[in-house]
Amino acid sequence: MAASTMCTAWVSSITRKHCYDVFGIIRSPLFRGASYSTALSVPTNKDVMTRGNRSTMSRRPRREPAAPRTDKMTVDQDWSSVYPTAASFKPSTVPLPIRMGYPVKRGVPLEKKGNLELIKIPNFLHLTPAAIKKQCAALNVFCTKWPETLDSEAKCEQHFPIQVKMTDFVFAGPSVRNPKARVTTLTVKVSSLNLDDHGRKKLIKLAGERHNKETDMLTFTADRCPLRRQNYDYAMYLLTVLYHESSKHEPWEKEKTEADMEEYLWESSTSERNAVETLLRMKGSEDGSAPREELLSSRPMQEYRNSVTNLKNAGESESTLLQYKQSVKNLLNL
Amino acid sequence: MALTRLNRIVQLSHTVSLTRPLHGSGCGLQLGAATQTEAPMESPRAVFRTSESEPASHGEQHIGQFYTIPPSQVKTIFPHGLPYRFQQQIKTFNEACLMVRKPALELIGYLKKADPTHPSVRYVLYGERGTGKSLSLCQALHHCSLQDWLILHVPDAHLWVKNCKELMASSYHRARFDQPIEASVWLKNFRVTNERFLKQIKTSQKYVWSKREFTDEGRPLGEIVDQGVTRVKNASDAVGVVLKELKAQARPGSYRLVVGVDGVNALWGRTTLRKEDRSLIDPSELTLVHNLRKMMKNDWCGGAVIATVTQTGSVFTPSSAYLPQELLGKEGFDFLDPFLPVLVPAYSEKEFESSYQYYRDRRWIQHHTGHTEEGKKELLFLSNRNPAALERLCAFL
Repeated sequence: MAASTMCTAWVSSITRKHCYDVFGIIRSPLFRGASYSTALSVPTNKDVMTRGNRSTMSRRPRREPAAPRTDKMTVDQDWSSVYPTAASFKPSTVPLPIRMGYPVKRGVPLEKKGNLELIKIPNFLHLTPAAIKKQCAALNVFCTKWPETLDSEAKCEQHFPIQVKMTDFVFAGPSVRNPKARVTTLTVKVSSLNLDDHGRKKLIKLAGERHNKETDMLTFTADRCPLRRQNYDYAMYLLTVLYHESSKHEPWEKEKTEADMEEYLWESSTSERNAVETLLRMKGSEDGSAPREELLSSRPMQEYRNSVTNLKNAGESESTLLQYKQSVKNLLNL
Repeated sequence: MALTRLNRIVQLSHTVSLTRPLHGSGCGLQLGAATQTEAPMESPRAVFRTSESEPASHGEQHIGQFYTIPPSQVKTIFPHGLPYRFQQQIKTFNEACLMVRKPALELIGYLKKADPTHPSVRYVLYGERGTGKSLSLCQALHHCSLQDWLILHVPDAHLWVKNCKELMASSYHRARFDQPIEASVWLKNFRVTNERFLKQIKTSQKYVWSKREFTDEGRPLGEIVDQGVTRVKNASDAVGVVLKELKAQARPGSYRLVVGVDGVNALWGRTTLRKEDRSLIDPSELTLVHNLRKMMKNDWCGGAVIATVTQTGSVFTPSSAYLPQELLGKEGFDFLDPFLPVLVPAYSEKEFESSYQYYRDRRWIQHHTGHTEEGKKELLFLSNRNPAALERLCAFL
């Protein structure tokens, strides 16, 4: 009972227009002020939502959320003004229909609105090609002209084989120093160094992990000194020392065994020995022994040599095995 | 119409033999049922069977067809040589049927053309698991035995490098180890295969087994084998003597020798056997392996060496390895070089069809879907045309 009277009192003061009592009499708008009435009135939707006496006077009509900014964006807008700096992903600002998340129960990934996964990951929306072009145009003012003669990649490699990478960091913080800025990387192609075969092999062995076999690049990353200049000097020193050491011939290098070899050499290997022995035995049975050199330089032997070297160096596969089979057939006259 | 009759008979036999016995009465009943419908089945039978039972006369036109090996030959030539599953199949179907396939034909062709005066050529069969390397080897050996060669068959070299119950130090060589059980078993089977030759070949020197036992020069080789079988302690050394004698006397004028080794990569791999101080034994420290390795060299003439490299049964090799070099290792490859690698691929379309028809003919496929076109496509897909996979799949049907 008390609740209903409270309800009616509040109702009559605010929603005068919408207030109906049980008898269907509309309260007149002139009737101001709280008044008690015993009649019950039917509560409407809006009454149910906001219970209690809170926000009676200050309550404003609830307004719909505005349309996202993406609706108002044109196709040819300037994107670098939307994302001028690195910022987190804002679904209402990015006009792309992106979905991210694990689809549960044969569903689809979650939409971008309110998607934490999209916000967590780093994005490069501030580094579109147009934005980078603008930044380059701004930096161009401080650059000197590129030499005209260096117009191809090959020429750059030929004249400047050593490439040094240094990174500068710009950020707003209590100090301008960044410890990551001291790292210096030096890359050079081994084929551009003036080394013979022995020197090259020795250099690759000494460099170890720093040499990339596919691209034939030697990479030194120096970060052991506190200053960038010192790291650069150290990297250059490493390169010089490596080069000179590889050119030297040490006396103990003569003891290099077959297990140390980088690639398979057919000459003076067991394979050559076996093949020659077999052929000699075959020829021996046919009266007439040919000298070793003649045997070695014959065509089947050369083919066999190539196929075995290929098999060992390039690895085993159907094609190399077939080639080997063919060469053995020719060698043994099958 | 014939098919429905067949199905009914199949159902009848299925109800009678509820379980699937591998050998025995159930199979007999099925065979009895088979003879009733001999006439209508004649035409499809002819497609995948050939009446040529000599591998020497097989040609390209026989590829995909099954030929039968008479039981007497099976007993003499292959006392221990056939793979276990194939032995079970022989018992079930009451016949030993091998499919003529390209690798075996190729091998037999080389063997026919080979010059006996030249050093023996080594052939290495390789292929993925279950493609039929062992059976191709057996086929080649069958051909050789029909041509009256001496057969030295090591059914699985992997058995010699693992799970040895009794390992004793060799009396002949202090650093080596003997395996009496394996050696005596092998000698028994060797005797069964080559009875005839053992009487003919004579020893070339005197062999002293112990203080009181010795074998004179000029005695038949059969005595050495008997010595090895009876005196199990000397079995490994007996094997060594036999191998040495055979190799030394295999000249173009006398017999021709074929050495068939299944799983030759075991000779250069690793063992699981340990010495008393729990250090691993190298394969070269085992007498049997040491002597067999000597046979693998091509310093003798008048014969051939056929080997398979297989991952099944090998220790410490990854299951995806099937190429010769990765299974043999550097040492093995250098030892066998130059050898002729022969690839054994999976079934071709025709061979698969033939195998399927054979299983149907033998009433091995009993499930009703197995007889339909869709069932066949399913089998093709599931087995990926791998012979062993197909065989195992059909065993469930």
